[in-house]
Amino acid sequence: MDFGEIKQLLLANDPAFWARLKTQTKSARDFEELFLLSSLRKKAHARKLENPSAQAKRIRLAILGGYSLYPLHELIEHLCEVDGSPVELWQGDYDNYISEIMDDDSELYTFAPHVVFILPAERRCTYTGHLTDTRELQQAEAQRVVDGVLDLARKVNEKTRAEVITTNFMLPARHDLGAFRSRTLGSDWSFRKWVNLELGLNAPSFLHICDWEFLANRLGGLAARDERSWFESKQPCSSTLLVELAREVAQLIFSLKCAPKKVLVLDLDNTLWGGVVADDGLEGIELGDTSPRGEAFKAFQKYIASLKQRGVLLAVCSKNDLDKAQEPFQKHPEMVLRLDDIVSFKANWEPKSENIRAMAPELNLGLDSFVFVDDNPAEIEIVRQFVPEVTTILLGADPSDYVAQLADCRLFEPRSITSEDAERTSQYRSDAQRKALEATVTDMASYLESLQMESVMSEFVPVDVPRLSQLINKSNQFNLTTHRRSEAEVIAVMNDKNFAGFSVRLKDRFGDHGLISIVIGEKVGDTMKIDTWLMSCRVLKRGVEEEVLNELVRLAKWKNCSRLAGVYLPTPKNEMVRDFYGKMGFTLTAESETKREFELRLEHFSPRETKIKIVRQAYAGQ
Amino acid sequence: MTQAEVIAQLQTIFDTVFLEPVVLTPAISAKDVPEWDSLTHISLMVAVEKSFGVRFRVGEVENTKNVGEFADLILKRKLEP
Repeated sequence: MDFGEIKQLLLANDPAFWARLKTQTKSARDFEELFLLSSLRKKAHARKLENPSAQAKRIRLAILGGYSLYPLHELIEHLCEVDGSPVELWQGDYDNYISEIMDDDSELYTFAPHVVFILPAERRCTYTGHLTDTRELQQAEAQRVVDGVLDLARKVNEKTRAEVITTNFMLPARHDLGAFRSRTLGSDWSFRKWVNLELGLNAPSFLHICDWEFLANRLGGLAARDERSWFESKQPCSSTLLVELAREVAQLIFSLKCAPKKVLVLDLDNTLWGGVVADDGLEGIELGDTSPRGEAFKAFQKYIASLKQRGVLLAVCSKNDLDKAQEPFQKHPEMVLRLDDIVSFKANWEPKSENIRAMAPELNLGLDSFVFVDDNPAEIEIVRQFVPEVTTILLGADPSDYVAQLADCRLFEPRSITSEDAERTSQYRSDAQRKALEATVTDMASYLESLQMESVMSEFVPVDVPRLSQLINKSNQFNLTTHRRSEAEVIAVMNDKNFAGFSVRLKDRFGDHGLISIVIGEKVGDTMKIDTWLMSCRVLKRGVEEEVLNELVRLAKWKNCSRLAGVYLPTPKNEMVRDFYGKMGFTLTAESETKREFELRLEHFSPRETKIKIVRQAYAGQ
Repeated sequence: MTQAEVIAQLQTIFDTVFLEPVVLTPAISAKDVPEWDSLTHISLMVAVEKSFGVRFRVGEVENTKNVGEFADLILKRKLEP
């Protein structure tokens, strides 16, 4: 790294020094580089060279632990300031952290920190007994270490309301103990792994783990340590790892006040697949398991899909004709991402900066929550220049590195848990529980019974209208006719006596699925025509279809009809219900390319048995 | 490599680390250079070890009294197999 230019800027008292400092700090990996940049920063302050983008408000950060915190504190201070969250530091004395925390009158509390960073001493995280002691004995001691750290964190938080960051523990990197290492909890290796796991899994919401084990592992165990620097100046780790540790703390502090990014905007050609679809054609692009390059692009798509699952919105921004750009999403068998994964699809010949700018109001999100990914430096540059709020990632030359580039970008990390997250997590969890149960129950009937399903059927009511219209307009697969309806049209159906529409809600012992099915019947003479029958695929094969039919028959009789008439209108997406009416006992009466017609005579119908308890029927009391 | 050559190479490292120019001589030591505190010292040592491809033994840098002795230590470590 070259320091000539930045020094000149400093000596000339040029405010451009600060932007340069930020860029160089970002790319500095070596301790001495970062350290030098930090001394330049301090000299700039001494020379009263003002940082134009500096924030007045400083976060009060206390650092304490079982090591010399010098020069770690210097690196943290530097990185936080350059990140735009400057800190005012208080440092504990070497290995004095326990009394600094336990003593109510300690300087730590006079300082009134917003954030407290603790590095508990590694030498206290070791089993003091014999390697062959019982597991109970060893585990009890490991538990005491975990409780010790948690108690310190709790005490600090109670006294100061500060967010607390604690490191966990590095693992040993020497062969000592050999294969026996992992057969006992008494080895430092196993002991610390256990402590780290328990610490993370039991951390209260105010406590953030600075995962030292992970950082050391990422760097390499041997490179992570430096015994000499411990003996000479009580350094916690090698100078290289010290940089990574400081970066992690700065990142944690930064993330306390900044929300993660919400939208990932993707280029298409040579980003999601190899080649140019408009030139090479659908068959010519590289994607999928037939070539190494194709496999790499597919893996990238899978990673992107996993981001979507975590809640990141996906968008496309490509210089292409729309139909050509969308073709792979619709027709390529190896595509992982499909059109309904994409919340905004811009393929045209306008500048990408303009396209991305247009997405923000469309998605009702600020541009600063967008990340744009492209393999073309010119496109990255235009977005950087014209929509600087957007974070950009320039993909490298090798698609096998794409996943790593996104996985290391640190822009989409889940943050401290909000109630909303918790709710989502409980939803995930109940799904997992359900699946676990499915695996243990051998036959379907007893599985369905064990779910303790309850369903509420309701005529259309005003409060449901937005949800009804939403489901009517987005449901594609289990949808017999794909008749779309606006909110006004749903209200029209609701108020027309010739229509009998109802919605279905379902819950089971793991959670509430909400409104999952909609049916609209229209009375024409003595026939109830099924105008709409759609259902969320999440609840397929639970018996909902059967209960809906029971309800439909009941309502048809109530409206003095003697037959049900159903029609299947094929679309590219609803193949799954092509034979649905047949399976439900209807008779096929007419068939053509564009439609299949069925009927069910009500006098022959006997209600279907399911494992769902119907709590309420539609039009109850009318 | 002579002591003078080592000091010349050290000079380039010091020029990078320090903002105010320092002219190294065998007699100069940390107390003569205002910017050379214990913090910059750590950084200097990391840079010196990298630049010369040497590794000092625990505690021995502390025992050198000035740049001349420090240069001799570098020479000694460089001559080791």
